[in-house]
Amino acid sequence: MRKTALRLVLAAAALGASAAFAATITVLVQSTAVRKRPQFFAPSVATAKLGESFAASGPDGGWYKVDAGFIHESAVTAKKVKLSAGSTVGGSATADEVTLAGKGFNSQVESSYKKDTPANFAAVDAMEKRAVSDSAVLAFLRSGGLLGQEGSK
Amino acid sequence: MKTLKLAVPAAALLLCGCSNMQLDVSGLTGGRISNEQFQSATKVASAVRHSAEDISESEEYYIGRAVSAQIMSRYRPLDDPGLNLYAQKIVQAVSMASDRPSTYKGYHVQVLQSDEVNAFAAPGGFIFVTTGLLKLVRSEDELACVLAHEVAHVAKKHGLKTIKASRLTSAFATLGAEAAKNYTPSQMSQLTDVFKGSVDDVVNSLVVNGYSRDKEYEADKFGAQYARNANYDPAAMKSFLERMQEADKAGAGGGMFKTHPAATKRISELGDLTPSADYKRSVSRERRFKAATVY
Repeated sequence: MRKTALRLVLAAAALGASAAFAATITVLVQSTAVRKRPQFFAPSVATAKLGESFAASGPDGGWYKVDAGFIHESAVTAKKVKLSAGSTVGGSATADEVTLAGKGFNSQVESSYKKDTPANFAAVDAMEKRAVSDSAVLAFLRSGGLLGQEGSK
Repeated sequence: MKTLKLAVPAAALLLCGCSNMQLDVSGLTGGRISNEQFQSATKVASAVRHSAEDISESEEYYIGRAVSAQIMSRYRPLDDPGLNLYAQKIVQAVSMASDRPSTYKGYHVQVLQSDEVNAFAAPGGFIFVTTGLLKLVRSEDELACVLAHEVAHVAKKHGLKTIKASRLTSAFATLGAEAAKNYTPSQMSQLTDVFKGSVDDVVNSLVVNGYSRDKEYEADKFGAQYARNANYDPAAMKSFLERMQEADKAGAGGGMFKTHPAATKRISELGDLTPSADYKRSVSRERRFKAATVY
């Protein structure tokens, strides 16, 4: 009886430990940088897109390690993810999952909202076009004396 | 394939107790699961969406767009490409150094033409700052701290947390377990009502009532930290708040003075303001700030 209980505890501990160090992560944002090092301003070595999944370890200090580099934990989930086509990634169990995009409040709901509510969506569209590239932000930081010794190398 | 021999139900129960996860082990047989199966099972989330934390990244984005559209129907966007681009680069820099560097479609900023001293952050990364506030700012480091405060509101999902729980319960019930992309007219009507109510909740918090004091102190603290991470001087948060205090004494009213706690109290709640080891003053930073803020 005691042996069985001990086995159960060890098995649960093994599950917990492994879950912390190995996972399939799925990107939840349109795009996010895969960085050379687990640092805010480390150079981007690739871009991970919405719905892409990676085998990863971590997170450690807020970063998952994947083959190509490091992805910040805020841009991904280690939960099972339902894709818009109805398929899933990140797991085979059948309990619930994270919805990637498309479900709930979406462009359809926004269109319906716009019909009855006057609001300046044109200004929001213009605002969204203003984003600058990762390299332009790094150049801005560098020219302002804001990049540390390790930054962007 | 490598397998682990487990008493699955008991292990699942233990895991549920530890991490609030819901496991479905119906597909597992013989008390043995493969590495792949066990990895999957540990990743499954709770079956039911309950709160603002359960709003997806894309849903947050659409709420943020509508809140922003409401803000820009009340305040006029400033048509100054140079200043807007300058503010955009600062916002992206401090957001990269935050604990939420990526939102669904990234961070965006718009300067609003208004004498009111104010700044807002809508869910999903939409940030606004008025020309009235910019007149109180004396350096790029101060502007970075102001904008980092707004990034912190986004990173900590303060806007989403102002949506009444009853609305979310209603929305989640309407959505149910449906995976379909297209809703019935009845579902669409219900969802649009909930969406409108949610947007109104956030707009009221941003423009009329303000966030709770705790959320403002949290945004100050994390904003200073993000600024520090980007090698700006976090003490610039304090110097800006001191200027807010002077403006308040001089009789500036409304806007941020109405919706935020007193600057004196905010200063007393700021944590460590020591700059990073890589911090340095820069003439080019001073120059570009002066050039960008002439309007």
